[in-house]
Amino acid sequence: MSGAVAVQARRAPIRRTPPRGRLTKAFLYLLLAIVAIIPLFPLYWLLISAFKTPAEFASVPPTWFPAEPTIAPLVTALTEVPFAQSMLNSLIIVGGSTASVLVTSVLAGYVFAKHRFRGRDALFYGVVATMFLPPIVTLVPLYYLVSTMGLDDSYLGVMLPWLANAFGIFLMRQFIMDVPDEIIEAARMDGAGEFRIVWQFVVPMLKPAVVTLAVFMFVYGWNNFIWPLSVLKSEALYPVVLTINRLMSYTMSFEYQNVVIAGALVASLPTVLVFLVAQRVFVQGIASSGVKG
Amino acid sequence: MTTVKIAGEGAALLPRRAPRPKSRQKGQGRWSALFLSPALIVIGVFTLIPMVMTFVISLHEWSMFTPITEMNWVGLENYETLFDDSNRIQAMGNTAIYVVLSIVITVPLGLLIAMLLYFPKLKGKGLVRVILFSTYVIPTIAIVIIWSNIYAPGYGPLSTMLQAIGVTPPGWLSDPSWALISLVIFNVWQMLGYYVILLVAGLTQIPEDLYEAAKIDGAGLVRQTWSITIPMLNKTLVFVLLMTFINSIQVFDPIYLLTQGGPAGSTNMVSYEIQRSAFSYGLAGESSALAVTLFMSIVVVGAVLGIVMKGRNK
Repeated sequence: MSGAVAVQARRAPIRRTPPRGRLTKAFLYLLLAIVAIIPLFPLYWLLISAFKTPAEFASVPPTWFPAEPTIAPLVTALTEVPFAQSMLNSLIIVGGSTASVLVTSVLAGYVFAKHRFRGRDALFYGVVATMFLPPIVTLVPLYYLVSTMGLDDSYLGVMLPWLANAFGIFLMRQFIMDVPDEIIEAARMDGAGEFRIVWQFVVPMLKPAVVTLAVFMFVYGWNNFIWPLSVLKSEALYPVVLTINRLMSYTMSFEYQNVVIAGALVASLPTVLVFLVAQRVFVQGIASSGVKG
Repeated sequence: MTTVKIAGEGAALLPRRAPRPKSRQKGQGRWSALFLSPALIVIGVFTLIPMVMTFVISLHEWSMFTPITEMNWVGLENYETLFDDSNRIQAMGNTAIYVVLSIVITVPLGLLIAMLLYFPKLKGKGLVRVILFSTYVIPTIAIVIIWSNIYAPGYGPLSTMLQAIGVTPPGWLSDPSWALISLVIFNVWQMLGYYVILLVAGLTQIPEDLYEAAKIDGAGLVRQTWSITIPMLNKTLVFVLLMTFINSIQVFDPIYLLTQGGPAGSTNMVSYEIQRSAFSYGLAGESSALAVTLFMSIVVVGAVLGIVMKGRNK
């Protein structure tokens, strides 16, 4: 395959490589700057809008930096709705489901990577197939199931479908396959049980995979909107995304616009912080999930 | 793949390991079942059973707020209603446009940015990669809020910038012919970083000597991209295409939060119709028929991509 491409490339008409002068370099840096500014600008706008007064926020043309920075919108956002409670609700829901996904994925990934039984790979690919199923397809029956169990309008009801997933199993299997069989065999010879093998010998080698999966699930659970929207009714249980929605629906008038923005800013902080702390390992982990898949 | 190989060779090279006592294998089976069951039960109960239920409900008339045992069999009637309803037809059309535009912009743009972040020796590449990805971790609701302000006429920065360079800004979200495109821009902006990471990872797998050989033979950047990068990357490209497809086809949050399908139905989407039909109108049967249609379109596209890939690999 690689040989064929090389031959094909060799047949290419001979052309001089473009001059690699300073000009090219400057152009590439310009491109790089543009690629950085486009994602950054809306985030910058989020940040500065949260600190503008309503009058300045609505001024035409807009100001590019708050002339009189104020924390009034922030204070209103945090006090008008039970903001702290909803941040805590998000943490409970996301923390619980992330922990569960880590445990179930390591255990299942270990079996798919290291145990041998008939139909193992078929079962694995069946599980992986569910990764491509959009949650919207099963939203109605899922809501019905959870409410029939009497668990609608509860933390557990939101968490139930998030307690395990195919992506986690897939990721763990890929990483556990790289754990040398010799280590597991040696542990087994020494009389270690399966639980100890996983906990003491496999898990310590999975740090990047665990971090990647944890961050991924944290972000997914924190940001997911449609499922808690469908299953929760009491405001006291709302995760922060629903509380922001509540804030949004109060009014669309200018006086409230920057309050909503301030709320959105605070609601985004946890995922951004988690991502920034873990970014080196996480980006690597996401990258290898693609390569190995 | 690797495990199978090791097992095969192990039998020949290390006979001491190969003939495992039967009792241990039987014991292992019990552990396999124990370790698999939590994950499989959750996926079975909360993914597979609902999937089957969606199919069954789509053949019934049901309000979803009455017990499921009380639903009425209507056969394929829900599917017929679906294709008679101009709202749903429009939602399907909009979703198709949204998905195709998202793919057509995301895949080439993602590839170009990935190449920029991989090939030339530039300082700050790592930082740019993190910045690109950061949009992916922010809650969609926060992004919806900020983009609705960026798109705002008058006080919004985007219109101001366009006016500054002498372009009359469109009405973005309030203009029926621009609203859908505005949502596509928003979608690409949010998701691009994720795909760039996957594509850069794909690029690292291409052996460098291919480029060395091409350079010696005088192939330029375009030629190298066309003859080496794209063919060698085609697995990753197809994966990114599939992920863009699946992620875009289920777009819900910005519609629910921002446009409610408007103006003039121009941003009404399938997933929004699925949710609205069931939760607001009590038409769970029709909603499920739409959900099955959405699911089938993913199966078809997935199958076509699979067949194309198989054909190419031969």
